[in-house]
Amino acid sequence: MRALKDYSNIVVRYDLLDEKEQDTSGGEKLNDESMQQVMDCIVKGNKDGITDAINAALEGNDPLDVIDVAVDAMDEVGRLWDEGTYFLPQVINSADIMLEALDICEGEMGTARESKGVIVAHVPEGDIHDLGKNIVTALLQANGFEVIDLGVDVPSEEVVEAVKEHDPIMISGTALMTTTMSGFEKTANLLLEEGLEVPLVCGGGAVSGEYMGGIDLGIYGGDDATKAAPMARDAAAGASWKEIREKYNS
Amino acid sequence: MSLSTKMAYESAEELVFGTAKNPVKYGFDLEVGGGCVYPELVPHPRPKAASSKKEIVKEYKKMITDVLDVTVGLGFPGIQIELEHVSQMTSNPDWGAEVSAQTKALLEKYYNQYGLKGAIRSTIADHREPLQEDIRNGKHMEYMLEAFDACAKNGTDGLSIESIGGKEISDHCIVREDIRGVLFGIGVLGSKDMEYIWSKIVDIANKNGVVPAGDTDCSQANVAMFMSGGYHGKSVSHVFATFARAISAARTLVAHEQGAQGPTKDCAYESPIIKAITGDPITTEGKASACAHSDLMGNLIAAVTDLWSNEAVEYQDMFAGSSVKVFAEILSYDTALMNTSIEAGQAKILRDLMVHSDLYRDPQAFILAPHNAYEIGSAIVENSSSYYERARAAALKAGELMAADDNLRLSQAENDMLKTTMEELESFPEKEEDFIDECVDHYKEIITDFKPENYGL
Repeated sequence: MRALKDYSNIVVRYDLLDEKEQDTSGGEKLNDESMQQVMDCIVKGNKDGITDAINAALEGNDPLDVIDVAVDAMDEVGRLWDEGTYFLPQVINSADIMLEALDICEGEMGTARESKGVIVAHVPEGDIHDLGKNIVTALLQANGFEVIDLGVDVPSEEVVEAVKEHDPIMISGTALMTTTMSGFEKTANLLLEEGLEVPLVCGGGAVSGEYMGGIDLGIYGGDDATKAAPMARDAAAGASWKEIREKYNS
Repeated sequence: MSLSTKMAYESAEELVFGTAKNPVKYGFDLEVGGGCVYPELVPHPRPKAASSKKEIVKEYKKMITDVLDVTVGLGFPGIQIELEHVSQMTSNPDWGAEVSAQTKALLEKYYNQYGLKGAIRSTIADHREPLQEDIRNGKHMEYMLEAFDACAKNGTDGLSIESIGGKEISDHCIVREDIRGVLFGIGVLGSKDMEYIWSKIVDIANKNGVVPAGDTDCSQANVAMFMSGGYHGKSVSHVFATFARAISAARTLVAHEQGAQGPTKDCAYESPIIKAITGDPITTEGKASACAHSDLMGNLIAAVTDLWSNEAVEYQDMFAGSSVKVFAEILSYDTALMNTSIEAGQAKILRDLMVHSDLYRDPQAFILAPHNAYEIGSAIVENSSSYYERARAAALKAGELMAADDNLRLSQAENDMLKTTMEELESFPEKEEDFIDECVDHYKEIITDFKPENYGL
């Protein structure tokens, strides 16, 4: 098929107007080369190299210090995401590698590191789409939170029971279908009846800011999963659901 | 299994909207692919209406009546209704059956009174959970098959599903842009699951004298497409989603090799490739499915369609009346224009205009243009030794096509994705058994609940 002479009145490729140079240099270099390797593996998504890098770093460093470097690496990944250099797959790949790094370090310590807080994640009753939940869970875990994953098709009563059992700082919910997201409202109402004012952060294809704004406890998680960790950090610091909503949804 | 070894058409130039080599005639005189395009309206009940059988049946009656009224009121010759099951309609097969029976009664009334041509597609929901159950013999499979049978016995003319085999792998791999996992999840596992379930669906259809219509890779390739988003998207690369789409054609084709006749499901964006290979009529959705989601090929995807769909619209009030009425009108005017061009002998000109609208809008649109869809279809039939080999061939051809056309502009990141993905594809084993061995070992370690036995492995 022969191309037309001029497509400029048919399509404008706005994505090509302002291309960014990819800077994955990883920020300031560390003095310890083995720690720099850990940083590079996580920032650059080098899954094959992480085990050797962590083991090398552990030879001369305390596991908690190695974990600190891994956390700094995830912060760098977050910066690259914020500036538009990294896309979600790179963030998730780095999160996967971070979790592997943590596993090795915690194995060395003989104990799990203290989590920043517990979060209950779920997909509401009637909905079986779990991709969004799995992305949120991976990112929260990589950022140091413990996630109680209730799975899919979860009745509101079960969410409330999980909240009573685990005392989370936040609840995360994802829904793909409009016919199922009413579960979030039901969950919020049941929680309030029990006096449990836990921030309920929800997202997914069906969910909108307007919908979540109409539910007490409700916070809209956004178009992608990357706001989950910053919101969780605020919740861990004691922010109320109203304060988190004000900060992220205004 | 019997894999396709030839194309239904001599060349891409033969492909056009409204005409298929193997038209399907059913319902009340509706012939899909027999020389004109019909609209397919997909109404979606409101959340509260799904609370009971009585409520959902009532909701559908209102929706279908609105659709048929406007179709007659504005003078359109025919319409297909898709009853896309919300979960309750499948898990309670009598709900889906009653909605189907009621819809058939309404279509019959309008056919008898006005001669309005019509048919019904029922799309059964796939709730199987591959990480938790035996998806071939578990309870979800059981009531899926029951729902197919119940709908077929109660007025449905064509049976469809959006099947999910392999999704547990492809979901994990799409968000990580892992092409090996996508090839495994869609091209191998998806195909094997399609072979299994479609043999059963075709049996049910044949026993009940209805048409086994077709499937879609919505649960996999459309996940990649939706996550890639528009030009603002930062979730998945558009080039990566394009590779997933090419692979999906090799998978969706399996339904037809098992006996499906078309029309394919509306959200099977890979359908132009399916039509080129099989000659079966296809359903597509584009600009008129903006009520459900966006895509970057709103005009192009109509170029070779036989049924033109709105995907799904929830029953709401709009200024002009109900949403289903509004979208039935939009779809019908679109098909009226296509049919006018057919009648005027100008169909191929309109087809080419549709193609040019979106050919260079995005690589996902680019590979579904008829001439490129035909090339990918040819690669599939020329590599017919196994599901894996033909799916890999489809991906490699898509990559070659993207690289060869300078008018298809890509960002540096997308160009890098194209290059690295092609290198990876070329490095994979030649033989399916070697690829499968490698993937089963690898993905069982990462996705610990993965059950290869669900796919006969």
